[in-house]
Amino acid sequence: MNKTFLVSGFSFLVIGSLWGQDARQIVADSQQRGQSKSQQYAGTLEVIGSSNKITLKRWMFQRLGSFGASKAILRFTAPPEVKGVALLIINHQDRASDQWMWTPALERDRRIALQDRSTRFFGTDFSFEDLEERDVNQFDYKPAGEETFDGQPCWKIESKPKESKSSQYTSSILTIRKDNYVVIQIENFSKDKLVRRIHYTDVQQQDGIWAGRTTEVQDLSRGSRTVLKLEKLQYNIPMKEESFTLEALRHG
Amino acid sequence: MADVGQAILRAADRIACPTLLLICSLHAQDFTQRGFLQTGLALYPETAPNDSSHAVDDSLFRYEASYKVRPWLRISGAVDAEFDTHEQVVRAAHLDWQDRSLRRPLLSLRELNATISQGKLTAEFGKQFIRWGKADLLNPTDRFAPKDFLSVTDPGFLAVTAARVIYDTGSNSFDLVWQPRFTPSRTPLLDQRWTVLPESLAGVSLNDLGSLVPGRSSFGARWNHVGSGYEVSASFYDGFNSLPLFQAAANTDFRRIYPALRLYGADAAVPLPWFTVKTEVAYYTSPDKQQNEYVIYVIQFERQIKEFAIVAGYAGDAVTSYTPGLQFSPELGFARAVLAHAQYTIDSTRSVATDAAIRQNGQGSWLRTVYSQTIGQHWRVTTGFAWIRGNPSDFLGQYHRNSYALLTLRYSF
Repeated sequence: MNKTFLVSGFSFLVIGSLWGQDARQIVADSQQRGQSKSQQYAGTLEVIGSSNKITLKRWMFQRLGSFGASKAILRFTAPPEVKGVALLIINHQDRASDQWMWTPALERDRRIALQDRSTRFFGTDFSFEDLEERDVNQFDYKPAGEETFDGQPCWKIESKPKESKSSQYTSSILTIRKDNYVVIQIENFSKDKLVRRIHYTDVQQQDGIWAGRTTEVQDLSRGSRTVLKLEKLQYNIPMKEESFTLEALRHG
Repeated sequence: MADVGQAILRAADRIACPTLLLICSLHAQDFTQRGFLQTGLALYPETAPNDSSHAVDDSLFRYEASYKVRPWLRISGAVDAEFDTHEQVVRAAHLDWQDRSLRRPLLSLRELNATISQGKLTAEFGKQFIRWGKADLLNPTDRFAPKDFLSVTDPGFLAVTAARVIYDTGSNSFDLVWQPRFTPSRTPLLDQRWTVLPESLAGVSLNDLGSLVPGRSSFGARWNHVGSGYEVSASFYDGFNSLPLFQAAANTDFRRIYPALRLYGADAAVPLPWFTVKTEVAYYTSPDKQQNEYVIYVIQFERQIKEFAIVAGYAGDAVTSYTPGLQFSPELGFARAVLAHAQYTIDSTRSVATDAAIRQNGQGSWLRTVYSQTIGQHWRVTTGFAWIRGNPSDFLGQYHRNSYALLTLRYSF
């Protein structure tokens, strides 16, 4: 009896461990398939407030490198009032990113203090943390079932940030398509309360990389949402290191 | 007035037609433009001894354009057209490019420069804005940035005519500036509320003989290093103080002179887990011994908590060598003070911000709070107030009659 219990318990642990390993592997495969040396797109954002008031914004985004060691510049092209405002982000694997903002009206760049990554990004429903690329090694994973989502068979995987990773979220549920390993939804929890849902739709292949062209972010605590549409999306195009410096931020 | 109006229309026509044709011929992707039309109303509950007005309206049209002629060459320019009810703006419609007048020009070339970028090297020639320093509350190292102080607590920056070369490796940048032509800061006008004359001069008619502008060029160099978890700079400036010294000529005559200035500066920013520390220090020396020699420093702490951002710090000074003289120096006026800025973003269209300065001797304080809201894609309304209190002997306190309410409407395109 005891022997049977031990064998069953051991088998359960092994199977659980294998599932955990599989979950991590699925996320690793997803990351591997989405990896690119560079990315560029024109983004159109609709910020829809809790009273259904819509604000439109546009930006140009360029990134060099990926997963923790990337550099990115985001430059607003609309509305007219913020046209020219630009943000330089230098990501680090071991600490918070360095960020500088260029404000044409002030003719200067200024370093942004960003101790709190839950800050909303320029009045959108993205937090600064949501704009970072998730690195598979910064989280622990376990399977959370399978389901059909947006008409596609998907894995559901729970991720929890490791101690070394500071995050506003205590856990997240990733929904990953089985056919192309694209993450199509991330539900982010803070102390078991769902606070932000990111839904990727219009999944297409571009330059060999599958990605959602439309991202809808819902801030469930505020009741607002933001829809980001990627246009002129390109991967692995040549970019220069000197395009991601403070001087480049100033001159556009 | 009608003549001025017609002159403006003629000038606008001369500028607009060729500009429009040029714009149409440019390749859209390499050409960017933006601008705004703004009108702002300031309401002063109190009059001042030299200014009986309660309301001042100022309207400004600004147009900025930039064209990438080649991948390595960009031409940028901007023009301002301004009009006000208080004669702070000259009533003569000629295009001013020098920014040396006591009053603001009606039409001015705000900026016109060429930028050449080749790898890590960037060179910029022409009328341009140059900003140094890392602090947000006060920038004692920012020496190529003269200001328009017609309203002392709300200054605007003026461009300088200069050649600038920057070598930027990403972690290190070396910045060399040569300014052949001096641009002074614009000081408050004698007959308006932001000039507070001593009681002994009450009723005396002062005769302004204008400015003696230095002829020698200015030079500056700055090194900036972005390290792992910190950023630091060192700078040097040899030229002239853009803030004037008032020199008595005879009886009630006076003129502005600009003392030679040699400055050694440093600044740093260190992001820490709970806040970011920024500090800036500059040692002002006077080669011609016409002004005091002193150190100005500022240390500030910055923190963002969700939609709330706060910057608070202290600015101090220490005079190392005294030279008698009357100098207009808002930098020293905002030193020996606790300074703060706080902003709360309500949603994607609305925000509220507060700035404050409280002198450590308790003799002067300034508080400004503004609420701002965008309407649609183009309009922004800003309303708020500035509250100034203190003793007439204090730099800030002397403006205690100048508290005001403001309403600004801006259309951006």
